Amino acid sequence: MLPQFFPPRKCCQFIQKVFKLQSRALVSDSARADEHIRRFIRDNTQVCRDQSLTPQIQLRLFTPSCRFWRESPELWPFGDPYWALYWPGGQALCRFLLDSPGECRGKAVLDVGSGCGAGAIAARLCGASRVVANDTDPVAAVAVRMNCELNGVVPPVCVTDNLIGSEPEDFQVILLGDMFYDDALAASLHSWLDRCIRSQGTKVLIGDPGRSQFEDFSSTNVLQRLAQFELPECVREENYGLTCSSVWKYCP
Amino acid sequence: MSGRVLVGVKRVIDYAVKIRVKPDNSGVVTDGVKHSMNPFCEIAVEEAVKLKEKKLIKEVVAVSCGPQQSQETIRTALAMGADRGIHVEVTGKDYDTLGPLQVSKILAALAKKEEAQLVILGKQAIDDDCNQTGQMTAALLDWPQGTFASEVSLENDKVKVVREIDGGLETIKISTPAVLTADLRLNTPRYATLPNIMKAKKKKIANVKPADLGVDLTSRLEVLRVDEPPQRQAGMKVETVDDLVVKLKDAGKV
Repeated sequence: MLPQFFPPRKCCQFIQKVFKLQSRALVSDSARADEHIRRFIRDNTQVCRDQSLTPQIQLRLFTPSCRFWRESPELWPFGDPYWALYWPGGQALCRFLLDSPGECRGKAVLDVGSGCGAGAIAARLCGASRVVANDTDPVAAVAVRMNCELNGVVPPVCVTDNLIGSEPEDFQVILLGDMFYDDALAASLHSWLDRCIRSQGTKVLIGDPGRSQFEDFSSTNVLQRLAQFELPECVREENYGLTCSSVWKYCP
Repeated sequence: MSGRVLVGVKRVIDYAVKIRVKPDNSGVVTDGVKHSMNPFCEIAVEEAVKLKEKKLIKEVVAVSCGPQQSQETIRTALAMGADRGIHVEVTGKDYDTLGPLQVSKILAALAKKEEAQLVILGKQAIDDDCNQTGQMTAALLDWPQGTFASEVSLENDKVKVVREIDGGLETIKISTPAVLTADLRLNTPRYATLPNIMKAKKKKIANVKPADLGVDLTSRLEVLRVDEPPQRQAGMKVETVDDLVVKLKDAGKV
């Protein structure tokens, strides 16, 4: 396809120009998709603060004045919006981090199942040197970036591959906010976390409000309670049955 | 008083589906057919959640007996506001022959184990129309029953139930613990909305086997045959009453 009469240097420049145009087209496609999702998140969530254990963190979440508070769930066009709720387990973890900034300061932090990204935001606010937010939902990645902007922090790297079960990387801290709600998920976390700790010496911090699957996990002597928080009335109303949320260090 | 209410929810073929009988007349086709929560069970869940919202009871536990898919029905109850679920695993032949007798034994055992103050069920399921489970459960527990409830109010340790009966409405007052069955006009069930569906994903569903509850699932009934209702025949028009009498006499009806 190379025209025969162009000298070699001009060919290279020509090819480079074509590649630049193509990659710009790719970037603008994904930027357009991103912009569409951003607009959707803006239209269907509200900026919330004060109604959680961490009033200093603002997040875009479902509230009674949002369309999908009452709308038929079939009309939701994306995957399950775990990111649109500030789960009590995550709230406790973030509260703990903000109270003890030394846990993340200068460290490489991985927030697994980051959802709204509160854990990643808290890590940034504490001066973490490197933050990665991991959630398999690409819409969550957009939500995390928007929530970081709200709080004036640099967005973390957002990874949508399922890192649970993957080769452990050199993170000094792994955050797990309210992730022990499903038997299969809890089991896969258990074995992967063991590997991370063994090979990288990672510190694993878990925030949990007493989910049943976590109770099973914690029945063996591998957890050290670092903090316990009473849930405020507004959180209790939205999470009937939960009264407090704790932070644990996993030490197998 | 525990302030705990047990609600039974049954997974049935969706009310809008056109039922087809299997070619061998052994039952109806269920494979690949849309299923949902029995409408009367929805009303039962709604009533229990209303009682909790009024702070008259503390906890709503949704129970379903059946295969893995019954968990979806429990999740719907959790999304409507139930606090936790119990899935009693019944599969295969046991599930095919599962009926009110076995379910009522299971519910009675659970009601005792969970120290329930109330057991609320739908008056009947739209697949078998048995209208027996509530009554049998109450009898096994030796608890009072308020069936066909169109209105329920708790007054201290008693329950006032307005019942829909053939002659009209009957109001009774029964002590707790008690079994109630929900009739159509008791309430209008809420839709499960997205935030509640999401929260339900993190609520607990415990798994229990009937044997753990000491329940024998043996059925005393055998289904011999299932047929479609006979096709409606066309009628006949007559001009006068005398014509009608003649036609009836000819047909041997009079």
